[in-house]
Parts: sequence; C-alpha cells; structure tokens
Amino acid sequence: MNGDLPVPTDSPDSPNRFTRLVTVVSAIVMAIAVIGLVVGISDGVPQPELESESQPPGDMSVEISGHESGKPQQSDPANPKLIDAVSYAEIPDTVMGPTPAFQAALVSLPPQPEYDLFSEVKLDPAAKLASGRVRSERRAFNGAPPIIPHAADNTSDSACYSCHAQGVQFAGLRASVMSHQYLANCVQCHAPPPPAPFATLDWSVQTDFVGLPAPQAGERAFPGAPPTIPHSQWMRENCQACHGGPNGWAGMQTTHPWRTNCTQCHAPSAALDQAIPDHEVPMLPPLEIATK
Amino acid sequence: MDSKRRSFLKSAAMAAAGSMVVSDAALSLPVVQADDGLPDGDNITWNKAPCRFCGTGCHVQVGVEDGRVIAIAGDKAAEVNKGLLCVKGYHVGGVLYGKDRLTEPLRREGDKFVPIPWDEAIDIVAQRIMKAPEKFAFYGSGQWTIPEGYAAQKFMKGGLSNNHIDPNARLCMASAVTGFLATYGVDEPAGCYDDLDKCDVLITWGNNPAEMHPVLFSRVTDRRSKGEKVRIIDIGTRRTRTTDAANDYLEMKPHGDVAISLGIMQQLIANDNYDKDFVSKHCAFRAWPDSGPSLHGDAISEQEFRKRIAKYTPEHVEELSGLPADKIRMLAALFADRELRITSLWCMGMNQHTMGTAVNSLVHGVHLLSGHFGRPGDAPTSLTGQPSACGTVREVGTLSHALPGGRLVEKPDHREQCETFWNVPAGRIKAQPGYHTVKMFEQFVTPAADGGDIETLLVQVTNPGQSLPNLNKLFNKKDGLEDKYLIVSDVYPTATTRLADLILPAAMWVEKNGVFGNSERRTQQWFKMVDPPGQARDDCWMTIAIAHRLFELGHEGMKDKDGEFIFAVKDDDGKPVPVWEFEHYYDVNVDKHLFEEYRQFTTMKHKNLAPYDEYVKARGLRWPVVEQDDGSWRETRFRFSGFDDPFVAEGKEIDFYHSTSNDGRAQIWVHEYQPPPEVPDSEYPMWLCTGRVLEHWHTGSMTRRLPPLNRAMPTAYVEMHAQDARDRNIRQGETVVIESRRGETQLPVWIDGRGRPPQGTLFVPFFDESKLINDVTLEDFDPLSKQPDYKKCAARVRKLGEVAS
Repeated sequence: MNGDLPVPTDSPDSPNRFTRLVTVVSAIVMAIAVIGLVVGISDGVPQPELESESQPPGDMSVEISGHESGKPQQSDPANPKLIDAVSYAEIPDTVMGPTPAFQAALVSLPPQPEYDLFSEVKLDPAAKLASGRVRSERRAFNGAPPIIPHAADNTSDSACYSCHAQGVQFAGLRASVMSHQYLANCVQCHAPPPPAPFATLDWSVQTDFVGLPAPQAGERAFPGAPPTIPHSQWMRENCQACHGGPNGWAGMQTTHPWRTNCTQCHAPSAALDQAIPDHEVPMLPPLEIATK
Repeated sequence: MDSKRRSFLKSAAMAAAGSMVVSDAALSLPVVQADDGLPDGDNITWNKAPCRFCGTGCHVQVGVEDGRVIAIAGDKAAEVNKGLLCVKGYHVGGVLYGKDRLTEPLRREGDKFVPIPWDEAIDIVAQRIMKAPEKFAFYGSGQWTIPEGYAAQKFMKGGLSNNHIDPNARLCMASAVTGFLATYGVDEPAGCYDDLDKCDVLITWGNNPAEMHPVLFSRVTDRRSKGEKVRIIDIGTRRTRTTDAANDYLEMKPHGDVAISLGIMQQLIANDNYDKDFVSKHCAFRAWPDSGPSLHGDAISEQEFRKRIAKYTPEHVEELSGLPADKIRMLAALFADRELRITSLWCMGMNQHTMGTAVNSLVHGVHLLSGHFGRPGDAPTSLTGQPSACGTVREVGTLSHALPGGRLVEKPDHREQCETFWNVPAGRIKAQPGYHTVKMFEQFVTPAADGGDIETLLVQVTNPGQSLPNLNKLFNKKDGLEDKYLIVSDVYPTATTRLADLILPAAMWVEKNGVFGNSERRTQQWFKMVDPPGQARDDCWMTIAIAHRLFELGHEGMKDKDGEFIFAVKDDDGKPVPVWEFEHYYDVNVDKHLFEEYRQFTTMKHKNLAPYDEYVKARGLRWPVVEQDDGSWRETRFRFSGFDDPFVAEGKEIDFYHSTSNDGRAQIWVHEYQPPPEVPDSEYPMWLCTGRVLEHWHTGSMTRRLPPLNRAMPTAYVEMHAQDARDRNIRQGETVVIESRRGETQLPVWIDGRGRPPQGTLFVPFFDESKLINDVTLEDFDPLSKQPDYKKCAARVRKLGEVAS
C-alpha cells in the first residue's frame, strides 16, 4: 500500500512542517471519528458514565464505557485477539465488536486537538507538486477515473464506500474522498489492481499514449481575483473532496475552508463542462444607435 | 496563456513523468512520457464519438491536441450513458497509441514480413481476386462502420457476384437475429434502454451485464441507490458480479434456459393467468415441423401449443435445468403480474447456444404470452457485444445470406431491388447464400485438392485466429498451406496476423470517419479527428481501392450498367473524385456518400434512417427515424407500440407490422428441449464455459495495450470451484492444462475469483492471445443461425507435468 500517502519529503525546517503537523493531527482526529462512527460515539450519544440498561445489547458504546453487558467477550488476557466462540443461542446477547484490547489502544492515543476550520492555511507549492505527482500516477490522463492503488479483494460498493465516502487517514494511509455523487458499481470505472493470484505478473505495456496533464491553477482576471475552476466539474462536484477538509490533497487545499459556496467566486468553464454545444457565446444583437 | 505558466506546466508534467521511473511500478501508470511535445491542454478541442468497444454505444467526448488524442470524457449530452463510461471507455483513447501499431503493408516472405508499398499490396489482392473471384471470401465484423460494411457488401454481392461475405457477428448475435425474425418477422429489439429506467424486475438470462455492459447495468443499480425498488433476477450457470447485485440468483445447468422459459409458459397456461387479451389480439402460435428446424416453422393452434407445453411442469423443468420447481413457479408468478414491468436482458449466454434460435424465441414467447411487451419497462431485449453489430451486420446485412435493409439473396424481388439501387445489370447478385463463418473457415483451411474452395480470404477489423471456436480445426490448419492466401487488415499484430500472407495496416476509430449502430437501434456518427500512424489507412478505402484496381484490370463486375465504377463519387460541383487514391479519399466525405446511398435500402423493413447530416447533430438517433411536418426528424423508442411507433396503424395499441403470418401478430413458439451437443463424461468430466471480463474487450488486441486495464487483468485464467481444485490437489494461481477432445491450453487457476462457478464447471475468458481457450472449445452451431456454442463443452483439468491419459 505504499504510495498512498502524499507526504512531501522536504527538509524539517520547511514551512511545510506545519502542514504536516496538521495532516498528522487531523489524521488522528479522523481515525477517532471513523472508529467512533463505527462504534457509535459520533452521534453524540455515548457518555461513558451513563447507565446503559436501556441500550440494546449490540450497542458498541456499551463496550466503550467498559460496562459489561451480556457475556464477556474475551477470556484469555494473554492473547488479546482471541475471541471466545459462543453458541447460537448466546449470539443475541453477545457483544460483537472491537475487542477490549483494540479499544484499549484507542485510549493510548495522545489527546487530540480539535480540527480548526479557521486555522491559517499556508499553501505549499512543493506539497502541491507532490500531491499532483501521486494523482497523475493513478490516471491515464486528467479526468480519467483513478485506478485503485491498493489491494481490493472486496469490490462491492459498500466496501469502497466505507472509506471513500468521507475519507480516512490512519496509520500512514490516506483514503481520498469521493469527488462525485454516489454511483453504483465502483469498479466499473476504477480499475482494481491485478487479482491476488496474479499480482506478481508483469503487466507493463508499451504505449505512446500521452495523457492530458492536470491543470496547475485556474486563471485570474487580475492579481488577487478568485481563480477560475481549471477542470471540468463533472464527476468533481464535491470541491471539498480535494480542496478542503482534513482529507483533501496537501498543497491543493483552500485557504478558506469555511466558505461553502465555491462557485459563488470561482467560475466553472462551460466548455470543459460540455455545457455549450459550440464555441460561440450567444449574445443579443448590438443596439442600433442613431448617429444623427 | 503566458509562456511562463506554460513552461511551469510542462516542468510539472515532466516532473510527474520523471516520477514514473522511481516510483513503484505496481502503482504508477506509465502514461506520461518524458519526451518533447507534452500536451498542456491549452489547445484541446473536444468532439463527439461513440465508444470503440461494446454494443452499448456510449458516446464519449474525445479531447484532441496537436493531432493526438489526449483525453476522454463521458458525453453528458448522450442519452445512452448520460456522461458515464466504463473503465474501457475512459481509456479508449489509448488504443490508438500502442507501440506496435501496424504502420506499413507487410508481405510474408518465408518466416518474415517485408514492408511493401500500398500500390503493390492493393495489386496483390486484386490479382488474387481476378484469378479466381469465386474462390475469394471476405470476413468482417460488427466493428466495421456502416459505410465500411456497406462498401464491402456492395463490392462482394453487387460487384464480384460472390456471396462469401460473413462477419464475426455470426459468432456473436446470429441467434438473436433468427430469434427476432422467427418471432416478429423483422430483426432487432422493439424496446430500448429507456426500459431500464422503468422496469420493476430485471431478468438477466445467462448474462453478466455488470461486467459486459456496465453502463447499462449501473443505470439500473443507480436507480436503487436513489431509493427505487428494482428486483434483479440473475439466471446463470455461475456466480458473477451481476449475481452480487442481484436479489435472486437462479443457478441452472447449461441449456437450462430452454427448459426454464418453457416452464414459465407452462405455468402461465396451467394457472390460466397469461394475458389472454394480449395473446388473442396480437399473437399466434408456431412450432418446427416434423421435418426439422426451420426459421418460420408451421402455424399451430393454441390447443396444440397447450398440448406441447403441458409436459414442461415445474418438476420436469427442475430435472432438465437444475432450477428448483418453486423458483420456476416464482418466475411464472412474476410474469403473471401485469402490474409489474419486466425487462429481460441477454447476450452471449442465449446466443452462443446450439438451441440459440429456439431459446431466443422462447424468451420472446414468455414476454408475449404474459403481455409484458410494448410498455416502457416491459421488454425482451438482446444486447450486442460489438459497436456496430446491429448497424453494420444486421441492418446492412453483411451476412452470407443477406442483402441491405433486411433483404435476402434467395428472394428474387430483393435481389432485383438491390440491383436497381446499385444500378448493376439484372442477375448480378447470386441467389445461393455464401458460406457462413464456420463453413468459410473450414473451406479456407482445407487444401484445394480436398475440396477447400476458398483460396483467398480478406479479413477486416476482427481477429478470427483467436475468436473462432475449435481453432485447431478452423484456423491453425492454415499454417503451411501454400495454395491458401490470408490477407489481414488490422491495427496491431494479432493471433490472426500470425498466419497472414499479407498484412494491411488499418486506421481505427477517430482516425477515420465512421457510423455505428448500437443495441437499441441507435445510429451514431463521428468525424475523423486525428491522422492514422504511418501508412495506416481506412478499411473502407482499402475495399474501394481493391475494387478500383479490379476495375482497371477489366473486371466487369466493378462496372455498373452505364460502365461507371461502382464506387464512383462526385464532389458538390459534379466533378468525379478519385477516392481510390488515398490522398484524395478525404477530398469528399465518402462516408456520407455511402450512407446516403445505403439509406434507400432501409425503408422496406421500416428501419428508416435520417440523412447523414441529422446524425452529425445528434448523439445518435433510434430508427425508424421519420421526418415530421416541420422538417425535423423524430426517432422511435418503442417499436410496434402505438403510442410511439409511427408505422403502427392508427388506433392500434400494438401492431407487429412485419408479422410472418401477415396478420399483425407475433409468433409464440414452442420447442422441445434438447440436450447440449457435448456433455461431461468420465473422460472429460467438467463443463467448460468461456466469456469475457470487464477490463478487456473481446480478443484484447486493443485493451491489452492499455496500462490501467492490463494491470487490472494481466492474464486469462481458469475459474474453478474450491472443491474441484482440492480434489485434484490444485492450488490458487497454479498453472494447469485445460483440455478437451479438440485441444488444450495452459492457464493459471483462480479459485473464488471474480466469478464463482459451481462444482464441475470451469470458466475461462478468451481475451488473452497467449492462452487461447478457443483451442479447446467446440464448433457445433445452431442449425438456423449457424452460431457456435462457446458456452458449453466437456473438458478436464490436468496438472502440469501430469501425463495426458
């Protein structure tokens, strides 16, 4: 899974250090959030000290609280990964979720600062170049759906969606956010890696195809003007996916993530968006002004 | 853009290109090359074209800069795909740029090929034909554009008086054609893709559209994501990605589809819940006569139909198909519910079938008997695998027995009409059908001394050396036959060029003008956007140039009644244009000339086409396209339905106006179940099924030259059940020998792979030219459509090194 993290490799003194810190911090925040989502703390419900009689036995927040409900999950402290088998009859009352060992690992993470929407974003050209490099390695041309850069045994939509709906950063890996609306059959467009039994085969191809490179920046009408959107918005409706939030691309993030109506200032391109059939911009005829 | 920014862009792109070298080869796509002339997107122009691959007929926007295709986008204005594509479509631009493109004519000298000039190549072909025109055959495909196929058709039947022209579509959808003809008296689906937006139930009959027609399949599954309820029922012989998305998986034995469709009809009759109103108004009954299979069979009474269908009880069908009786009842109950809209999809599973015509007509029969026909969402729809299998093969009729516009060589009035349109002397067209594909190749690889009367074979836009069944019998025997001459026009070296005596480098896709016709009767036009590499030239030009060389050599057939060349083209000023000289080929739009000539043929079967210029403006139009009072052209979505089809008689809800019984009725057939031609036995105990995968298109000659696709699927494989592997001590990834009575090939094993066959079944995709599964398959074919059955034969698995028994 190497190549997944677009961390720029410049010197520790570079201004990029801050960006990286933000990345690392936000990675941890997101990891907590995602795990929280799975185990049920993200909706504001979980309160560890709360009595949980009213909660259903399957609710994972019970385990977070350390409160025991149903059968103990684990009886061999020497082997934290070992989970006792239960009979079918016991299943409804058994908590099936992260083992206590896994949950304990969460506690050992350092305290997380909040993701600050309003913290200053310094744009880093080196990070942008590095991000662009990773992106271009996964596309035959700008606009092509990226290939899947990691092993993908399960190509069902829900499997893809579990990470790529919101994006995840965890343990050095980064799952990018879907930039388009939910579409079924992900592998229809995103080519997976070779099937595991054939992973070592040479798949290299001799080709002269040269793809359209990614645009580097939009155009500005004057210095300081908001840049135009230099790429098609089709399949990239979600600007946040790349340009904002904790899971966007380093160096490409917006300096003002709190603003949400992007096209209020950044003009899309009708030509790139296939919105006009020809090159002529339709205008009313000029007014006839009498000269005498 | 200022030069500073441009140079920054270039350096950034170069940096990206440079990164390919150092980064992990397993991850990066070597698509950007660090040479001069990197595109920067500044001068990119976009133009429409239909995708080069399957019969879905998606439109793409092709981005061209400095004479090269550099990007592809889904065309948002296209109704077929609404801006979406599949993984093949997104990378279709790359198919032009494989390093080993054929760029000059090559003539075989011993084991080597030597480059020769085009004039010499054309002369060689013309001289071979001149010597023995009746021993020449032309083999094309559903990838011929409509003008290419039309030119080939006219050249052969109207010029050489030779009917030995057939396409690879014979291997692909010939049974769908006979199914439509037998049922409605006219070819091609009545419904269209709009049915997919309306159906409540989608039944896939031996079909895996999640991989083979993904844009159509996700059109249905996307409806579910939006909260609509669509029940997908997958009837198949192995689990596939379509099964993964299906609500019901109904596993059948090979040939079980025949029994299942009979079983559904039996239940509808037995429960008396078929659509009596629809049947009494719009249907009649048919069966084959005792004398054997015939396309139109004999009329039978409803009583007779009831009698014959009665034995296909759910229990009997369970025995024949392996599908539990309650599932047959479930299917019948669905069809009995007129509130539901039911669409059936099928492709190779039902077509590559020794009962192909029969099972096609039976599934139509299920829809007719239950009245699930003619309303949006109620449709029996067959899909095609090639971009113009419908447009070129079925409509232009590039088949050994057909003439353009649904005409037949055996009908005197049809021949006469064509001779009039072509302005050629009466009697020019021969009445005797030519050789169909399997027969054509049999005759070609049989030495002349033993009766093989095809001596020169011209192959365009297809790869029979990989795609024919039983290659050892039908193709490989060509090797070493001195008196047989194989001419192959292609874009890359293939399994077919391996044995070629003359190779002609072809232009492809947006390197030429073209018109395709997709699975839903949609005719689609595009313009040439880039130049072909080197000396590569249009297939249509080749045909015209060969014809003109024959004209020069004095072949009478190349002249019309007035002594003019049959492909004479004049420009707008009435001046003749020598289009047989390639430098003048694009002085006029030859495609437009051929298309307008071809249009005259299309009205007989009410497959009316609009003028060429209307297609320039549209993202394809579905025929019949009829001119309106205001001069606009209107397409037809639902054929035979009064609310949409302009040819349905006034006031009628449904009108099968090409009915073979001449009374506006469609035919509901009954057929007797027959077992497959070869079934597993103690010697060859496994079923072998062949097919395709999402990432590769047919023989892979294009898609295997695209990095993202070749990475995703670098090799063919054999899918087998874990227990079958265990029983033979075979491990995941191990290379084994797959063998049948006809041949063998070596393949790595994929257990619990993308498809999961049941115990006793093997599946192998045919895209890999280095692992030819068609050395193993069977060439037995349907008696009417002549389409071979690639989906079932008996085979066995042998471990490498194990001695063959």
